Amino acid sequence: MKTIQSRLKRFFEDFYLVFTLIFLYAPIAVMMVLSFNSSKSRSQWGGFTFEWYRHMFESAAIMDALYNTLLIAFLSALIATVLGTVAAIGVNGMKKLPQTLFMGLNNIPMLNSDIVTGISLMLMFIAFGISLGFKTILLAHITFNVPYVMLSVLPKLKQTSRYAYEAAMDLGAGPVQAFFKVVFPDILPGVISGFLMAFTMSLDDFIITHFTRGAGINTLSTLIYSEVRRGIKPSMYALSTVIFTTVLALLLITNFAPAKAPKEDRREGRQTSFGTAFRRTAMIGAAFLVCIGVGYTSFRHFASTHSDELFVYNWGEYIDESVIAQFEEETGIHVTYDLFDTNEEMYPVIEAGAIQYDAVCPSDYMIQRMAENELLAELNYDNIPNAANIGEEYFTRSEEFDPGNLYAVPYCWGTVGILYNSRRLEELGISPPTGWADLWDPRYRGEILMQDSVRDAFMVALKRLGYSMNSTDEAELREARDLLLAQKPLVQAYVVDQVRDKMLNGEAAVGVIYSGELLYLQEEAEALGLDYELTYVIPTEGTNIWIDSWVIPYNARNKENAEKWINFLCRPDIAKKNFEYITYATPNAAAFALLAPAYRENTQVFPDVSSLVNSEVYRYLGTEADDLYGALWKEIKAQ
Amino acid sequence: MHPSLIDLVHISKSFDGELVLDDLNLSVRENSFVTLLGPSGCGKTTTLRIIGGFERPDAGSVIFNGENITDMPPNRRQLNTVFQKYALFSHMNIAENIAFGLKIKGKSKDYIQDKIQYALKLVNLSGFENRSVDSLSGGQQQRIAIARAIVNEPKLLLLDEPLGALDLKLRQDMQYELIRLKNELGITFIYVTHDQEEALTMSDTIVVMNQGYIQQMGTPEQIYNEPENAFVADFIGESNIVDGTMLHDELVEIFGAKFACVDKGFGVNKPVDVVIRPEDIDLVKPSEGTLTGIVTHLIFKGVHYEMEVTTPNGYEWLVHSTDMFPVGQEVGIHVDPFDIQIMNKPESEDEEAVGVNE
Repeated sequence: MKTIQSRLKRFFEDFYLVFTLIFLYAPIAVMMVLSFNSSKSRSQWGGFTFEWYRHMFESAAIMDALYNTLLIAFLSALIATVLGTVAAIGVNGMKKLPQTLFMGLNNIPMLNSDIVTGISLMLMFIAFGISLGFKTILLAHITFNVPYVMLSVLPKLKQTSRYAYEAAMDLGAGPVQAFFKVVFPDILPGVISGFLMAFTMSLDDFIITHFTRGAGINTLSTLIYSEVRRGIKPSMYALSTVIFTTVLALLLITNFAPAKAPKEDRREGRQTSFGTAFRRTAMIGAAFLVCIGVGYTSFRHFASTHSDELFVYNWGEYIDESVIAQFEEETGIHVTYDLFDTNEEMYPVIEAGAIQYDAVCPSDYMIQRMAENELLAELNYDNIPNAANIGEEYFTRSEEFDPGNLYAVPYCWGTVGILYNSRRLEELGISPPTGWADLWDPRYRGEILMQDSVRDAFMVALKRLGYSMNSTDEAELREARDLLLAQKPLVQAYVVDQVRDKMLNGEAAVGVIYSGELLYLQEEAEALGLDYELTYVIPTEGTNIWIDSWVIPYNARNKENAEKWINFLCRPDIAKKNFEYITYATPNAAAFALLAPAYRENTQVFPDVSSLVNSEVYRYLGTEADDLYGALWKEIKAQ
Repeated sequence: MHPSLIDLVHISKSFDGELVLDDLNLSVRENSFVTLLGPSGCGKTTTLRIIGGFERPDAGSVIFNGENITDMPPNRRQLNTVFQKYALFSHMNIAENIAFGLKIKGKSKDYIQDKIQYALKLVNLSGFENRSVDSLSGGQQQRIAIARAIVNEPKLLLLDEPLGALDLKLRQDMQYELIRLKNELGITFIYVTHDQEEALTMSDTIVVMNQGYIQQMGTPEQIYNEPENAFVADFIGESNIVDGTMLHDELVEIFGAKFACVDKGFGVNKPVDVVIRPEDIDLVKPSEGTLTGIVTHLIFKGVHYEMEVTTPNGYEWLVHSTDMFPVGQEVGIHVDPFDIQIMNKPESEDEEAVGVNE
């Protein structure tokens, strides 16, 4: 009896432990597995591959971000360690009351939320006219790292006897010599753990880096974040896997190495000299690394102060990178290329003027808002002759947000429509949808995926009701809200990126989706060998036509270069190259003519714009309307 | 005659407005063993730290070998310190600890090796070169600390309560060791302690300090036998300190009884403090005593008996004697004239401050 009971107890103890570990590590394991998945899908296994690792190491953006991350982590940790150690020595010498006070002040920044630290640092840099870039990230990281170093060094200093330092002085050592020969070896474990902590904090940081970084510089965290828009690429899983294993290795080394050292010391005096030799080598190595790092960055810094420069601010994954290289080669202009993920993220950056971009690629309504707030410079079309390649109908559409086509040259465009799984519909016995109204068919219960964004959700309802999707009429909007509430029981989920994956996996019958995803989806479906077809339809009631266009901010320092850039992108061969990479519809008529017939005949991706009579372009509605939309949307989501 | 090696001239020092040393003057002859003795907070350690260069006096100067070294940093002074808590460098082995000062001075490897061997032999720890600090006992560590200091061949060795952390037996052994070392090396020692027995055992000269003042300076015998004031008398050994009146030269009245003494020059009918050591009181028959009392307390201490004898006025005399008198027995008190020590009563407030705190 007893043995069974204790065995059972033992079993549950083990089970609980394993369960906890699974809970902690399963997500990481999933990510690691996916990094070897040849399919981009997150839930379909397409075979084992090293493709993403290859892609990761070949990607200049990733390698650059990795380099920046490591360099910033190393330099900031190193500098913070020096500053923090010196400060800790000073604090240690203070009387009790000032010391308590000072350490209290020291601890506040650590408890402070990152976002406050990030924003205040950014504001300070701007206020003092320090242009955001590598050095501001470095300064920011040093700033938040110093308290951690102090916190780890101070206890060691308190353990160290003051007499050891005095004894060294007594034996003829000067103050500096006495410190390095006697005090420093004693506090070294604290200094090292402070350094490692600072290194990790820097490596980890996203928010503060996000606010203090400038044009053309990314760390891994900001790079990964900017990938979110189009869905994280599997090479990011590969990267995360590499980071995780590296950190794990570092952890193992730091946890097991120091436990061994003192034992050896005690057993055999000679080991100590080996220890010092090792330490010396490590120090020289570190100093060497710093020299290389500083040298390289200053080289990069000087290399980047070209007379001919261009600062570009674009969506992530929104250009074929070889196009940038080609532009640089042909014009001799050095391009600093930076990424944003949402219009709303881009706007304050331009508004603050902290980073002076020359060419930016916002969406329709945001261009209107920027123009209304006088953030844009008028284009000189004499410098952009290739703008003639853009189809006239797109410029006509653009007038809705850019009257007179003063500011914007269309770059990519698309529609919002319904994607449906033909086989699933057959099973349900429903004929394919043709309009938004079909999304209220009760037979779709649990089969509908809606976009999880205010304007997109309301667009569907407003269009179904026959109103403008830019409506600010409260009665119309309430009607739309009621309609969406009525639809809610049918909806499987409100999602953004997952529409793509869920449709690929056959999890839903219909989904509201941006047409930009189509080509990718269809190619992926083919690659996975799916036995069902995913078809896209533009609803008859009309939909949202979105146009992302190139504009030049009012404070651009290199306006002519920006115009050269826009002109270059309008060149048919370049536009074709970009289309093939981005797979979003191009408004470039000359480029369209060069495309493979399969593309040209794909009316899902390239519908006839002039036939989309009921469709509209988003307009900026002002804050009052924004608030109304927001409040109504909340009611829908809350129910 | 030995010339003076170090002179402290009008040294004053205060911490946070609290006066620790007040106009202190001290002269130490070469090749002597001087002990600064006093209760904690008396300023003895501060004095040592000023000599070592770890504190700078607010006023006054430190003269070493005729040179004013008041502003000289510790690393340039030709003296070494043995710290209270040994202050060995825990990340170095014994040999490296001893070699520290020599390496900094850039001595040759062979010289350093020789010195290490010599010093270890001197402190009876040969063969300990490669041991780690942690593996040594307290006494061994202290001997290494001494070895580390003396290899630098200082003219003056400062020792700040070096035996304070050791147990009694070890402390006594180390006392002899220190005396032997001092004699072998011919170095001047300035030794700080609050242990009067240690001071009496080792020193050539004892400087008794209290509250920033030197109370008395002299040989151990002088300090013990002729304390100049009640503080010294009380601090050094056990004493009976009673109020008395100097009737005239060589006669003092205590509790109404007249005692013959050897002191002169205190004036006539002058109130004084009288010090009588417990072992100097002879207990005799009541009829033969100058004063009479009753034994109220008795403890056997091994070498002698410790007794308390209460006289009719209520004062309890402390008496050490090899003869035993049971509690309750009436006895007479007799003191030989040369065993009575007469001291002036403190007159100024400053002197009052150093008075006995019982």
